[in-house]
Amino acid sequence: MPGYYDIDDILMEDEPISVVFQVTANGVGLLDPGAESNSVEKGAKVDLPFWLAHGLLSHEQAVSINPPPCFTQKTRKEIQADAACVDLRVRCPYFYELGCKIVPLVSDKSIGLFLRYAFTSRYKEVLSKSHSSSTMSVPKFVPLLTKEETRVFESARESMAAFKKWRAGGVRLQKASILGRKRKTMLPDGPSTP
Amino acid sequence: MAGQSDPHLSIFSPSEVEFVAEDEIVDIVPNIRMDALNMICGDFGPFFPQIPTKVPLWLAVALKKRGKCTIRTPDWMTLDRLTQVLEAERESPREFQPLPFHYIEISKLLFDHARDDISDAYLVRSLIEDIRDVRFHKVETGLETISGRTHAVKLKNLSAMEVNIVRPFMVRTLQAFYKHDSPQMIQQADNAGSRSTPVDRGPRVSLHF
Repeated sequence: MPGYYDIDDILMEDEPISVVFQVTANGVGLLDPGAESNSVEKGAKVDLPFWLAHGLLSHEQAVSINPPPCFTQKTRKEIQADAACVDLRVRCPYFYELGCKIVPLVSDKSIGLFLRYAFTSRYKEVLSKSHSSSTMSVPKFVPLLTKEETRVFESARESMAAFKKWRAGGVRLQKASILGRKRKTMLPDGPSTP
Repeated sequence: MAGQSDPHLSIFSPSEVEFVAEDEIVDIVPNIRMDALNMICGDFGPFFPQIPTKVPLWLAVALKKRGKCTIRTPDWMTLDRLTQVLEAERESPREFQPLPFHYIEISKLLFDHARDDISDAYLVRSLIEDIRDVRFHKVETGLETISGRTHAVKLKNLSAMEVNIVRPFMVRTLQAFYKHDSPQMIQQADNAGSRSTPVDRGPRVSLHF
């Protein structure tokens, strides 16, 4: 069940998941681009968005879910080699969120451990850069981060920027523009010459 | 609360922390005669010329702005004490020296409004900056040790502003670690071995910074 007001949660549920149909489904041929008739054959391999795959699995056991490509052995090897340099955003911007939802649905139970390992090893890189990086330039590792990591990074950077702004000072109370003006004194027009 | 950027994290903006710090008590030496002020937070005064008295920082700043008093520099803001603190901070990489909870805010307010009352103002200011940098570096190295097993972090002697800076980062990180280390995520990985025994979450880890 996605968080109703959480846009990231809704977008995450749109990630395509590769599923295998366990039954023949009539009338849904548009799900399978390779289908010849208006039905999906049993055993057909189709990419479905996560919300649909989850629904089909939990109600009818109509499909079986394959782990998405971002959790394959190849990605795991890369994470083990140098976690900070792996571009997880290209693979799946909602890497961790999707992983958490996938874990209860697939038989491969090592995904949970893999997620924790990936986050722990990438967290150090985020930590070392986030508070010290300047507010103007964006460090070049930021495009590699997933949504969740970006959020952690940005929150640190914003709080540091707010502190620096406060320390640099400046006026706390804005003066209304009208207050600065001096009232014109109207002198009575009279014979000024003695 | 005003200036709050994310309601879920309950962040204070630095100026809100400064507002809280303005309730700290400082010594002033008034140069006017004035009756006692009866405030909700307490009674202050009466004020006699050249007789030191204790008032909240906001009142001290307000009087100072009008030239009605001089603010006495707090004990910890002297050159000797700060030099000692800085040395001690550099010597102990895991511990923080006891400083007032609002030392960053108080020193900034005093530098902004009562610069002429502080002796060696320039040196004191750079010392406080150095102390803050050293301490913040310690906080960062301490944060590196957070892992999935961390459920609480002990931060002794950390000041309000320092806590406030790392709060958003730390809360989010701990949330993420908690999520990824939840029994639901990990237990299933080794369900072949110990399904019946509840997952031992370990003792509460407390990091001594």
